[in-house]
Amino acid sequence: MSILTIKKAKKLLGDARALRGLSLDLEKGEIISLVGPSGSGKTTLLRAMNRLIELDSGSIFFQGENITDMDPVDLRRKVVLVPQESVMLQGTVKENVQYGPKLAGAVGKCDVGRCLMDAGLSPKFAGKEAGKLSGGEKKRVALARALALHPEVLLLDEPTVGVDPRKVERMEGTILKFARDAGLTVVWVTHDVPQALRVSDRIANLKNGVVKEVKKAAEFRWEGAY
Amino acid sequence: MGGSILTGIPYTWEEGLVIMGIMMVMLVIAIGLSVWKKIGIAREYTYALIRGGLQLFAAATLLYFLFEFEYWYYPIWLFLIAMALMGGYTSARRAGKMPKAYRITTPSILVGGTVVLVVLRVSGAMPYKPQFVIPLAGMVFGNAMTICSLALNRLTREFETNKPTLETMLSLGATPKEAMEEYGRMSIKAALIPNIDSLKTLGIIFIPGAMAGLLIAGTNPILAAEYQIIVYLMIIGGGIITSIMVIALSRRLLFTRAQQIAEWV
Repeated sequence: MSILTIKKAKKLLGDARALRGLSLDLEKGEIISLVGPSGSGKTTLLRAMNRLIELDSGSIFFQGENITDMDPVDLRRKVVLVPQESVMLQGTVKENVQYGPKLAGAVGKCDVGRCLMDAGLSPKFAGKEAGKLSGGEKKRVALARALALHPEVLLLDEPTVGVDPRKVERMEGTILKFARDAGLTVVWVTHDVPQALRVSDRIANLKNGVVKEVKKAAEFRWEGAY
Repeated sequence: MGGSILTGIPYTWEEGLVIMGIMMVMLVIAIGLSVWKKIGIAREYTYALIRGGLQLFAAATLLYFLFEFEYWYYPIWLFLIAMALMGGYTSARRAGKMPKAYRITTPSILVGGTVVLVVLRVSGAMPYKPQFVIPLAGMVFGNAMTICSLALNRLTREFETNKPTLETMLSLGATPKEAMEEYGRMSIKAALIPNIDSLKTLGIIFIPGAMAGLLIAGTNPILAAEYQIIVYLMIIGGGIITSIMVIALSRRLLFTRAQQIAEWV
């Protein structure tokens, strides 16, 4: 069953045609990686799915409903974006993790320690000043902050960039475990094709703003470097 | 117009022109320093002064005839609206790249200023005479314009430097109002700081405009101080209304209808 359907999405960013009629279907509960060179439209597509930007033409459907007919706030709580740049909000890690649930009026239901553990961090981090964490720790807090919203779709933009290379596979394992346990649909943007092969059910190869091919990870043949 | 007895100023207006010419030396020194230190404000400073001076003389001529005019209350409305429009237009230029900023500056200044003038009239602090209405309206609208410029300038700068933070908040389900709340508060506070500092130093470092004018005209210092406090209260009141309005109205231009950050930011 499709959870997200993108139909002929077009988007111009300045003079660059970031999306040129891109179409893609995402199945509920799957982990799909978007790979492709810089400028192929991966990040633009994630931002459009979270409705941080509007498409010039084409449509995106979430559970059958056109996202332009939905309240953007409702959509963003269900289709949650973890951007490549992990911006920490002012305050502690706990305040960061509680940010979304607090706005939704569900702070009482937010188990900060659980969210941190799901993101691969010790609950002891809760009291730390978020702005003073290392790059890798910030990535995990950003992930915990997204998980605290109990999303249905998680949009991850290069979630392991900047993470200590020795810890990348551990972080991948953490995300995979949580996603599988929660039945979450994950869209994982990466430049790292071996990573895509490790984490995905399917891989979509993007080039010049369109999907060149979508294949099961086991069938995906990668030629050349990005 | 020979007016030294009427105004309490000990020279005629012709002598005043000569004195003004002498004081221009100060301007030349200031511009010279600006060029020397490469501060880059010489052109704008000169333009602002010439423009301001000409506007003031034009306004003074208009006032001279208005004060003598029996039906002064008809044209005064045009005068007040012109003040708000001019203030809105000037303030909008401090909004950086924000398009059509006058759509938020003009109503903010107009509402902030008008509310205060109504309170002044109702409370009896402003007799319905052109000698009171015009200078007080000038002070109120002038201050509202300054506060409007400061608030808007700070807010647009905050948006430009904190765009990733704002987008993070939106992506986590914040509404535009919730995302900009802290920046709005900071902008209002920053805009009001000059007024608050002026209040703190009132009577110690400087004698403010209204009181200075009354003293020159020979008013009892206690009465002059009392009136100055009334003026300050209304100025701050108007400033707060203006700054709150400008922040609230700017949301329409900073965000799209789909609750995204506007493309111009």
